[in-house]
Amino acid sequence: MGRTVGIDLGTTYSLIAYLDPAAGKPGCIPGPLGDTLCPSIVSVDPDGTVVVGEPARNRLLTQPARTIYSVKRLMGRGVDDVQDELKIFPFHIDAGSQNVIRVRLGDRVFTPPEISAFILRELKSWAERFFHESVDRAVITVPAYFNAAQRQATKDAGRLAGLEVLRLVNEPTAAALAYGLHEQRRGRVAVYDLGGGTFDISILKLISTGDGDIYQVLSTNGDTHLGGDDLDNELLAVARNEIRIRHGLDLERDPETVQELRKALIGAKHELSFAERAAVMVPLPDGSSYVREFSRAEFEGLVQPILDRTIGPVQMALADAGLQPADVDEVVLVGGSTRVPLVRRMVEQLFGRRPHAELNPDEVVALGAAIQANILESGVKDMLLLDVTPLSLGIETMGGVVAKIIPRNSTIPASAQEMFTTGVDSQTGIDIHVLQGERELAADCRSLARFQLRVPPGPAGLARIEVKFLIDASGILQVSARDLKTGQEHSVEVQPSYGLSDAEIEHILEESIENAEQDFNLRQLIEARNEAETILRATEKSLAGLAAGITAHGEPPQEVGHDLPPDLPPDLPPDLPQDDGRAINAAIAALRSASAGDDYKLIRVRVDELNQATMPLAERLMNRALSSALAGKRLSDV
Amino acid sequence: MSTEATSARTSETPCWSCGAPTDSAHFCAACGKIQPLSGDSDYFAFFGLPRKLTIDPEDLERRFHQLSWKLHPDNFVRDGERERELALARSSQLNDAFRALRDPISRVEYLLASAGMRREGQHKQQAPPELLEEVFELNESLDELREARQRRTSADVPAETATVRRKLEAASQNFAEKLAGVDAELEKLFAEWDQANADAGTRANPGAGPGAKLTEARAATLGRDATNDAASDAARRKLLERMNEVLNRRSYIRNLVASVQKELEGE
Repeated sequence: MGRTVGIDLGTTYSLIAYLDPAAGKPGCIPGPLGDTLCPSIVSVDPDGTVVVGEPARNRLLTQPARTIYSVKRLMGRGVDDVQDELKIFPFHIDAGSQNVIRVRLGDRVFTPPEISAFILRELKSWAERFFHESVDRAVITVPAYFNAAQRQATKDAGRLAGLEVLRLVNEPTAAALAYGLHEQRRGRVAVYDLGGGTFDISILKLISTGDGDIYQVLSTNGDTHLGGDDLDNELLAVARNEIRIRHGLDLERDPETVQELRKALIGAKHELSFAERAAVMVPLPDGSSYVREFSRAEFEGLVQPILDRTIGPVQMALADAGLQPADVDEVVLVGGSTRVPLVRRMVEQLFGRRPHAELNPDEVVALGAAIQANILESGVKDMLLLDVTPLSLGIETMGGVVAKIIPRNSTIPASAQEMFTTGVDSQTGIDIHVLQGERELAADCRSLARFQLRVPPGPAGLARIEVKFLIDASGILQVSARDLKTGQEHSVEVQPSYGLSDAEIEHILEESIENAEQDFNLRQLIEARNEAETILRATEKSLAGLAAGITAHGEPPQEVGHDLPPDLPPDLPPDLPQDDGRAINAAIAALRSASAGDDYKLIRVRVDELNQATMPLAERLMNRALSSALAGKRLSDV
Repeated sequence: MSTEATSARTSETPCWSCGAPTDSAHFCAACGKIQPLSGDSDYFAFFGLPRKLTIDPEDLERRFHQLSWKLHPDNFVRDGERERELALARSSQLNDAFRALRDPISRVEYLLASAGMRREGQHKQQAPPELLEEVFELNESLDELREARQRRTSADVPAETATVRRKLEAASQNFAEKLAGVDAELEKLFAEWDQANADAGTRANPGAGPGAKLTEARAATLGRDATNDAASDAARRKLLERMNEVLNRRSYIRNLVASVQKELEGE
């Protein structure tokens, strides 16, 4: 079994972290370029090669039609949901998309979980390179305000990347865990998490009990479409408008320049967190340049309306927790966008206290995920996360009204049982529509799933079917049903409204086996190297054992050692025929050199060869063991 | 027959793993494996509490945290599928039970529902007789306000609605006060219920203090007086009915206040 890691699958950046047992604290794992932040950008070459992260960033400029960023915004959503984003983001949605969006990258089409899986696979390879062993289990973080469909999509992405997702943890909760470990905090903590594409606010209570520390989430709220991307888009809108007016250029058909512009403006945004002024200069297609200086005051004026949208969720979360701002003992800032000074001022005003930002806001979520991964992996428990479901779960009743069965901010896992029966004679099916959201009408809530309970025909009201709706510890919906008349489990085939069915995932997995060849090769290489290491060590140990055995028999190895030909190491057992000894040494050398290379098949061949070469050695060892056992017998007989 | 006694039978199902008797415990005393929920599991019993309506919130939370440590699915990630499923079922039951019992209103609603006296969304929505007159007046004022809004073109709308608004605000205040009265009444009923249960518990099981888990067998061996029993059952049934009635009144008034607020803000 491989390692368990924590992954922050972010809108703009993703990270992978682990708990270093030696240091007793979590750390982020760097990629081949030495950076711990992996840009959540995926590009697919015409030959099908997938490029992820920093190397894909430039392709946003050079091959925008084959490259995608911020795919997290599409997770678990339908085409109708993302019309607003499509106006701003250069997503190429395939015409065949319906309830699961299909994104076109060049001549290939992918679902958002598949694209996220590419990012996860890249991170997984970072960790495998780092540990020299396979990584197959993970805790992945999601925005606290993600609905069950968005969570399921994230879990699907993990599965497609060859990771068993042990638990999804809410990002602010993970951050609180990292902070708690860091500072040993107690009391009520508010986590304000403004990332690249999502905003979360969570109110937690940290309790010390005799069993350990409990991180109990009291309430959560947020906006899954509010983040640093929106600040960038505000700047971009200003720039494009000015380019239209001053240069008479419409960049509608010029995604390269738009990306160039975007990159420069993001740089200016970052600069404005430290400097009072920042300038951009971007070459335009007509040969001129767009030159512009932004002051911090102007930037703040532009983004204030966007940041104001975080106030409502904060107030709702406080109200749901039954708290006033003054009741909060600590405020923690998470997410890259909380570097913006205006955000810090706003949060300080909201809570009347200075927020904490000691830990790197980019890394803190991944670090928390690593802590949780370690808890699950090791079974050593001194911390427990009790999270909540961010949205009420309901079922559609007559007239399209939603009956709430699990209220928002319920600690998860949570469940509700509902009894269903037939309304008319000879009815054979009962349709059930499960939704999530706070609005009264089904049309205004998020459709999660539909299914039909099949019942044997009979008079109306005779059937008695109890359906159990359960939200698991990851915030994902599970449905089961029981026929109360027969006591039998009732099969339910739930069709997700916005997501992949199990069959679809299986299908993608099968198809991706070819595409995953690269991934497979890496895994094979790691395994082959491990195997080589094991057999090399075992061989050396056996050789040393044989040599030592000779000493025990009163034949000091150095005496015979003089007779050894120069190409044999001195510790090669003297009673081993020289041919065998040479063969073993040659096989060891060949395996060492193969193991330094990348060809796992060659390593395997060399492993087999070494095994062959050591056969006589093994026999000899066996004989030695037998004869000494016999010798022991004789001694005891005496 | 007591409504209480029927809903809390002692089940002696054998442990799924080692076959030892389990007596509805969370874990098997013999092998330590987590146990499936029994069909008649009771939220009070889940926490090891008597079926009393007065609950010390801190004690309840402490029990909740202790059980969370033991039952949360995180503890079972490395176990077999069966145990993972059982942990999911049991920990969701724990959270559902805590959610139901920590709030006094949902606590009494749960008690009534488990006694078969109340079903979600099935309470009567007709006005309690003693409120009829006031409700009638309120509805008239609401109609007036709506009508005034329909004639938005007329110049005297603000003045017209101002009077109605004042009336509505006063009525809303009046009903909010009634709500406080209802809550006080409920609290009194809670105390009566707990007392009735404590009496019954002492009689049935003198050694163990107040307890809801009365099997008929156990009651019989203790020589429980059947006449007395029937009388106290009837009294408790009556208490439950009164609580149900007060809850209906409460929810009616709350809806009324909410709809007035909505109408006032909707301008």
